Amino acid sequence: MNMDKPLRRVAIFGMLLFFGLMAQVNYVQGSQAKALQTDSANTRRFSEVFNSPRGQITAGGQVIVSSSPTGKDNPKYGRDYKDGLVFSPVTGYFNGGASKVELAYNSLLGGTDPRITRQRWFDAFIGKKAEGANVELALNPSAQRTAYRLVKGNTTRRAGAAVIDVKTGAVVVLASSASFDPNEVAPQRESKGGKRLAELDAAKGAIKPLIDNAMSQTFPPGSTFKTVTAAIAMDTQGLNSSSTVPTGQLILPESNRPLPNSHDTGNCAGSAPLRGAFAESCNTTFGKLAMDMGIEALNKGSSKFGFNKRFQIEPDLSPAESDVPISVRDAEGKQIRTGADGTARSGIGQENVRATPLQMAMVAAAVANGGEIMQPYLVQKVTSKEGNELYGASPKVYSKAMKGDTADQLADMMRAVISEGTAKNLAGRNIAGKTGTAEQGAGNPNARWFIGFGPSEKPRYAFAVVTEGPGSGGEAAGPIAASIMAQVLSK
Amino acid sequence: MTMTSIGEQIRARLPYQRRNAATLVLLIFAMVLTLSAFAEVGLARDGNVPAGLFVYGGGLVVLGLVAYAVQAKFAPYADPLLLPLAVALNGIGLAMIYRLDLDTSADRKVAAQAGRALIPDEANAPTQLMWTFVGIALFVAAVLIMRDTDRPDAKLSFTPKTAQRYTYLIGLSAIILLLLPIVPGIGAQINGARVWIRVAGFSVQPGEFAKLALVVFFAGYLVNKRQAMSLIGKKIGPFSIPRMRDLGPILIIWFFCLGVLFVQKDLGTALLYFGLFISMLYIATQRVSWVVIGVGLLAVGIFVATLLPFMGHVNQRIDIWQNPKPYFDGGCLLDSGRVVPVNPDTEIYKRFKEQGDGSPGFSACAELGGSYADSAQLMKGLFSLGEGGVLGTGLGQGEPWRTPLSFSDFIFDSLGEELGLTGLMALLLIYAIIVQRGFKTAVAARDPFLKLFAGGVSFVVALQVFVIVGGVTKLIPLTGLTTPFLSQGGSSLMANWILIAILVRMSHDARKPAPQAIQDEGMTQIVSTR
Repeated sequence: MNMDKPLRRVAIFGMLLFFGLMAQVNYVQGSQAKALQTDSANTRRFSEVFNSPRGQITAGGQVIVSSSPTGKDNPKYGRDYKDGLVFSPVTGYFNGGASKVELAYNSLLGGTDPRITRQRWFDAFIGKKAEGANVELALNPSAQRTAYRLVKGNTTRRAGAAVIDVKTGAVVVLASSASFDPNEVAPQRESKGGKRLAELDAAKGAIKPLIDNAMSQTFPPGSTFKTVTAAIAMDTQGLNSSSTVPTGQLILPESNRPLPNSHDTGNCAGSAPLRGAFAESCNTTFGKLAMDMGIEALNKGSSKFGFNKRFQIEPDLSPAESDVPISVRDAEGKQIRTGADGTARSGIGQENVRATPLQMAMVAAAVANGGEIMQPYLVQKVTSKEGNELYGASPKVYSKAMKGDTADQLADMMRAVISEGTAKNLAGRNIAGKTGTAEQGAGNPNARWFIGFGPSEKPRYAFAVVTEGPGSGGEAAGPIAASIMAQVLSK
Repeated sequence: MTMTSIGEQIRARLPYQRRNAATLVLLIFAMVLTLSAFAEVGLARDGNVPAGLFVYGGGLVVLGLVAYAVQAKFAPYADPLLLPLAVALNGIGLAMIYRLDLDTSADRKVAAQAGRALIPDEANAPTQLMWTFVGIALFVAAVLIMRDTDRPDAKLSFTPKTAQRYTYLIGLSAIILLLLPIVPGIGAQINGARVWIRVAGFSVQPGEFAKLALVVFFAGYLVNKRQAMSLIGKKIGPFSIPRMRDLGPILIIWFFCLGVLFVQKDLGTALLYFGLFISMLYIATQRVSWVVIGVGLLAVGIFVATLLPFMGHVNQRIDIWQNPKPYFDGGCLLDSGRVVPVNPDTEIYKRFKEQGDGSPGFSACAELGGSYADSAQLMKGLFSLGEGGVLGTGLGQGEPWRTPLSFSDFIFDSLGEELGLTGLMALLLIYAIIVQRGFKTAVAARDPFLKLFAGGVSFVVALQVFVIVGGVTKLIPLTGLTTPFLSQGGSSLMANWILIAILVRMSHDARKPAPQAIQDEGMTQIVSTR
């Protein structure tokens, strides 16, 4: 009996085992490689991001963020931020993890995005890593510098400024104080950077440098919210800028206490045209309008401006949610409805109404742009190292906030604020707007606002500035806004 | 028999030649490959040609040339591929271990001088070089000792054929070797597997040697019994059922393998031994019915194991294999079949960790009433492969050290990361060629015992590579076995070098010219000098 035949068969079976292994290795390394590399449990990405240079971030042609070799193995590349304190509200930081534009455009900056790798398939084949693409911001760098200098100089507390192009939605200024310098947490700082980041993250009290005060922090908008209240009332209640409205004392029904005006003279003495009540910012007028319309109408109307929901300004990057709540959850988790008194206070931007400066700039933009708000964006375009455009911002309408006629009348009312209202100190600065001085509870400084647009006629940009401290919005925030706008409009 | 066997056909067609020149050329190629690998590790990792190149590369060159000289002199008709292929595998494995042994890296020396915290690593290139030396020395010794196969009764002669005389003694020693790790005192549990013993400060895996002993035992036993076992009992349909009384041996081996499965909880080893026996039984008897019975028994055994409550880990192994994600960094399989993560991000883990528990995952899972397992190693191995892709990162340029046991059980994945799919295909081909040359030796051998012996050792290499490589590439559930010639470990290297020596000797015997009819009476007294 010969064993050669079964030997050959077992040999073939053995070869089949190897064939099976080869097929599996081909499957895993050939077709599964990408999925394995991007698996959420795979921690390799965290260190690999330091092995190649990231793309630059520029604004107005100036390089503000770049990568340079550290001369070390890990991290191989560091990240340099020019004027980090000025630009960090938009650029964010990068230290393996990232925030803001560094996060939203991480795959393009890092060179792993399919839009780059698809073009560079040959590099991938020969094992050469695709290079990161450059991101051009919509920011106006000189205006951004002015804005940072002014908001920082005005207060030791929090301050923020936002300016958007009303026709496109491009965010040209987004400044915040207190700010942080991303250089302190950049990869080249190694463990010190991580420690500093944790320190910044754990900041106690009101001042949190990692949370910018221009789009990621909300404040009570105070009287600037009267712009929204007025717009809703004019759109739904048949009012116009010359309708006579009560401006005298208002007793709140639940507490039987009056809603105070800052002054009871001039237009706020008893009754006035809506235009006058707006220009002199009579609280009682807008408290009454809000009570008459009800909190639901206020909530629904404000949603058209962007309140009450988050939106993505860039991929995976959302500004904080601005709110006009119908009800709020108390400490025990119970929903408390906003009553009549609360509705009146909501109408003047107090109670539980909160807004980011970016949101208030969008409100002003709606007025300046015939009622239409353009979707705000931070990044103008992304170009590959070879200069091919990989992404370009395309302006699109975010919402129709009010009727065009309402917007035109409101614009006129905002001009009146400068000519005959609460911001006469800004006469001749070629801007229009609305002041706001919001109380933030006992022991806290006021949130001092000025929102508006410029140039006063044929507006191109809308702005919102908030700073914290004693005094009024017209005096504290108004001049800052005027100076920023002068810089924005100077070119 | 009218048809000539394949073996006879091969023997008839092949003009037997000494292929020493081919061996030398291939051996030099294997060495260039190894030296380049070392140089690349040094250049990529440390920025300069490693200082150890002369020690490691030079050591391997000297050893390889000695092995070649001995083979050329004492086994000149040996298969020309076996030695160079084994040297290539050993060299690549050694280069990879050198790459993973962070003590050899410049970075680490700088870090150590600066007093910085070091990543612990267990890869040990100097020890592996020493075992390579011992392994090749054993190869040389084995080729030298196993001379004169034509005169097995000559004094001090031990040939593969001699082993047949001690079939049962060797079988007994195989059992003893396998049982040693369970013996308290010398048995040692390393990395969760109880397959080690400690002898004079060294950890030895007796299972590696038991594997060879078992092949000898099976070959010796089956050569004796194959006539009886190939007799046909009843015929049912196309199947001829063997006689019931011949079922004894296969049942004993089956129980033995199930014992391995239950006691050592090692599915891979059980599969390896049982698969080896079934294949050798088939080679010996040519009866497909034995294969069917064997596979049936194995299926029943594994099925029973999955039903037994204390064997829950078999189910879990299979579950991890099919769906490793929930087990990453620790998962808990509940009786309901649901997997609850108990990784360091979960609250329950943190709670036990805060209590100062040494193994929070286990404790957390015990509280949930499930069985704990961690798939992090398998998944990290797969991430390693994914990182490598088609062409790999290049030696010294990846991060294979991220996988635990990247230098032993998972060295195939480590190589996959740095050499890529391309490199792994080459490695698998090298294994496949070794196995194929082994089977060719078996076919060419003249003696039935030697045929079975050579077939057995060839198949056991194929099966072992399949179990471990299949495990780390998620083709089959993972079980810890060594990757022949690549994994760090002395026992495995020694056993595999002896295996190659046996194949070299047998191939020489099979391929050397048949004794010519003797013309000159005077010549008969001359004993071969080989």
